[in-house]
Amino acid sequence: MKLTRRHFLAWAGLGALGAVACEGFGIREGELDIQSPLNLPEDLVRGKDNWYATLCRTGPSCDGILVRVMEGRAKKIQGNPLYPTNQGKSHARTEAGVQALYHPDRIPGPMKRGGIRGSVRFDPIAWEPEAMNTLVRQLNDRGSRAVLITKPNRGHLGLLTSRFADAVGAEHLNYEPVDNNVYRRAVKDVFQQDVLPDFDLDHANIILSFGADFLSTWISPTRWNRGYGEFRQGEGRDHRGTLYHVDSRFSMTAANADKWIPISPGWEGHLAMSIAQVIVAEGLQSPTADVDGMLGGGRAMLDRFRPEDVAARAGITSEIVGADPAEFIRALARKFATEGPSIAIAGGSAGAQSNGLFNVEAAMVLNWLVNNVGSTGGVTLNPLGPWGGVPSTAQSASLEDFERLAEQIRTGETRMLLLHNVDPVYGLPGSLKLRDAIVSAQDLFIVSFSPFIDDTTALADLLLPDRVYLEDWGDDIPDPGPGYQVAGFQQPVVNPLWDLDPRSFPDVLLAAADGMEVDRVETGAGGLPWRSYQAMLRESSDELFALNRGSIEAATAAEFWNSLLGRGGWWDENTGGPGGINPPRGILRDILDRASEPTFAGFDGGSTLFLVPFSHNTLQDGDNAHLPWLQATPDPVTSVTWQTWVELNDTTAERYGIREGDVVRIDSSQGSIRAIAYPNPATPPGIVSVPFGGGRRHGSAWATDRPATESSNVAEILEPTRVAGPETLAWAGTKVTITRTDDSVNLSKLEGNARAVEVGLSAAEEIIKTVAPGVK
Amino acid sequence: MVTNRINHKWGMVVDLDRCTGCQACVVACQAENNLPINTKEYFQQRRAYEWIRIERYWEGEFPNVKARFIPIMCQHCENAPCEPVCPVYATYHNDEGMNVQVYNRCVGTRYCANNCPYQVRFFNWWEPQWPERLRNQLNPDVTVRSRGIMERCSFCVQRIRRGEITVERRGVEPLTGQRIPPGPASPTQGRYLNHQRMKDGNFLPACAQACPTNALMFGEQKDPTGPVYQYFERANEQYDRVHHRDYFDESQTRVYRLLEEMGTKPNVIYLKKVDQYPISGGEAH
Repeated sequence: MKLTRRHFLAWAGLGALGAVACEGFGIREGELDIQSPLNLPEDLVRGKDNWYATLCRTGPSCDGILVRVMEGRAKKIQGNPLYPTNQGKSHARTEAGVQALYHPDRIPGPMKRGGIRGSVRFDPIAWEPEAMNTLVRQLNDRGSRAVLITKPNRGHLGLLTSRFADAVGAEHLNYEPVDNNVYRRAVKDVFQQDVLPDFDLDHANIILSFGADFLSTWISPTRWNRGYGEFRQGEGRDHRGTLYHVDSRFSMTAANADKWIPISPGWEGHLAMSIAQVIVAEGLQSPTADVDGMLGGGRAMLDRFRPEDVAARAGITSEIVGADPAEFIRALARKFATEGPSIAIAGGSAGAQSNGLFNVEAAMVLNWLVNNVGSTGGVTLNPLGPWGGVPSTAQSASLEDFERLAEQIRTGETRMLLLHNVDPVYGLPGSLKLRDAIVSAQDLFIVSFSPFIDDTTALADLLLPDRVYLEDWGDDIPDPGPGYQVAGFQQPVVNPLWDLDPRSFPDVLLAAADGMEVDRVETGAGGLPWRSYQAMLRESSDELFALNRGSIEAATAAEFWNSLLGRGGWWDENTGGPGGINPPRGILRDILDRASEPTFAGFDGGSTLFLVPFSHNTLQDGDNAHLPWLQATPDPVTSVTWQTWVELNDTTAERYGIREGDVVRIDSSQGSIRAIAYPNPATPPGIVSVPFGGGRRHGSAWATDRPATESSNVAEILEPTRVAGPETLAWAGTKVTITRTDDSVNLSKLEGNARAVEVGLSAAEEIIKTVAPGVK
Repeated sequence: MVTNRINHKWGMVVDLDRCTGCQACVVACQAENNLPINTKEYFQQRRAYEWIRIERYWEGEFPNVKARFIPIMCQHCENAPCEPVCPVYATYHNDEGMNVQVYNRCVGTRYCANNCPYQVRFFNWWEPQWPERLRNQLNPDVTVRSRGIMERCSFCVQRIRRGEITVERRGVEPLTGQRIPPGPASPTQGRYLNHQRMKDGNFLPACAQACPTNALMFGEQKDPTGPVYQYFERANEQYDRVHHRDYFDESQTRVYRLLEEMGTKPNVIYLKKVDQYPISGGEAH
């Protein structure tokens, strides 16, 4: 058709009319939005997401989380804002739960060993009948000489596993490589509590911590990071809190302290008692603190800890504290006693010495001198969980227990191992030679319920993969809680993928008990009366409903259950820890009686260095080594990723001719490992530090694909020194020698990836600016 | 009219006195934004992808030594040096104060990365790869960037958009799922994506959501009820005073912008670290 002027005008007019009409008719806004070229692709957000509340299992504490699920796939994990301990916050470890869920190296289904032990050859089998029949048959044959090793599980999983062990006649051991037994014992002795206390960091003015890396890996770091933020710049505070950290290693907590006091390993207790001596001698204790009752004798008992006598022995010099050391200790004691609320915290490396119990108790008892127990900005005692008979706390077995276990395997007394999510072959000190004991055992049957291959699972006869926590039910009683009763609930937020066939560990135990024809109601202390683990938890929900108190108001038990899962748990803020707790009579005297100097087995002499290992910020003690995000997350202090490094002072490195990236051989009397040197200005000159978590031999490539020069397990060279009292491993009680090897590698670290200061734009002071206290 | 979008001005405040360097923000960002897994080799080649990273600076020598941490992400500069050098307009400034990257316009000249003083732009040297099963985790709201293009922190724009769509367009209260009742002035009155609704609906950027110490605060710069308002007010006042050559004592404020002297005017503000025991004569490195 020919375009004429008349046609053109007509069409233009019609077009304009149409546009006006369309505007009037009201085209749906969304359609135009979607097609607009002005908007970014990110504007095209479509799809319905659901957020499910559950619990996190990738860290030392069990934080409440929300998981974003779209079309049956878990996409993202965040903190649950309702959950009382972490209050919506999360840790670097938290997010990686989705990688455990969708990990390519998950064990797809039940398997049996297909080669010689240690060959890591497994053949798939079916759950029914072969896998379950094998389990039941072996339990029938060997149950009374079996050892069930699990993590220290609280709540109903803890109850079910211990009841199962009782029912089949097995021994039950809790295991975690870096345990808190010393701290738990100190809490029991000093505060007479079975469950751990919380610290009200939000409202404290002074925090004095001894060895506890509470901002990174110690016990409940997410909660205490949240409190730390408020401690520094919380709204409504009249001034900022001050953190003193006493530690032989420059940890993440040390890096954030206002004053880090590098102390000789194992002398933390002496410093704490010296502070106590000053407080008592100068009468600075709280008016309500019964010092004489705590001492149970004359105050002169404390005089052997006068600052003048302690400072030099503890390695506290005027260079370190910038003043006369004794005067510094006095000033610190005065500040702690008079500028409160103050909190003393102790654990970690301070407790991992031969005299660790003395160190931790000496520090924790300072809380009684300022009488901060139960007060704002102090120590908050916790109640037991809401259910009677369900464990609110769980403690690891001692090193003594595991030495006995290794011996029993050697002698053939233990004929069966049942392992749930633990890897003792990797985590126990090399001196126990557990791997050798297992491999050479003539008649040992090992069942692993782990969803992943690890160093112990690799030696198993039967693999019965558990569900990972995002696919499974569960519960937890936080330890420590927030000062009142909390019961966290875990629910399956997604189903296992189509090509995986895991089964929930507690359900397998119940099915095995059925297969063994155990009288589930009558056997043991209360038996195993539950149809399934979910039914057990549902019953526990009904019990909470019957309490008729707490955070959930519901008309029926079903409504209560739904609300419980929707919120991720139940809590009752009207409950509280025990009141009227006073310091045990003579507690200070008992601690003083326990005072001793640290001892170090193995190497000695001028060329030796103290080895202070530490839990890795994200890999912890190796549990998370298969998760790539956590391998690739830079260590906060060194920024190293993927590799095992050894921290040493610049001057120490210079003395040994070591440069960054050099492979260093570290020898103890128990063996030798290699690690990559990371010289830095902060590690004390007599110390070397190596993280736990490297050197796994079996399992995911992400955990194992580096050579021994780049990834090693520091537990292999630890001396089997025990902490006097709890008899647990003194993992910071080893002395070593270091030697430069001819190897050198490129350190895999974030440092140097991109820094404005490095491209010459600005001095570091211009990047991180500082001000004096008081400026808002 | 294409949208009824409320004209926001987003901003972030980083309190260095709260930051512990814990890396929660780093992993949260990786999880939310489909960043490739940083392999050992990526770090060794100094080509790791971290839209937000924690830099650590040493100060002093043992025993008077400190480590200082600073989270650094795209500063979303008002005068962004990366924007004018892009030959294809792949990076531009949107009407909410954010620096935005259009992935399918980018041709990979890397001029923007070259011009960015904060080193926060990342070039995809490799095609991103995940094992098949891990792909289930990928966030469907975020494009997976292919080899040869540039990427950087977007302030989690997909979360903000989800918040705007939920609250401001659909009028749904994120926590309860109920309709926001129409206001007297207009049906959309009251539909404002304020800070509480950002928190309730998980619309905050992943890093700020995760940060356990609340060192990262995000919000509307113009919202007096939000967490960042007061700091942006002060930062803007300081900026004006400096530029009008008024006397200004920098030691009496915690508020500053990173490399402020470059005139980039970021939409990220830092609050200085309080140093109770400064190292005398210590030199940071």
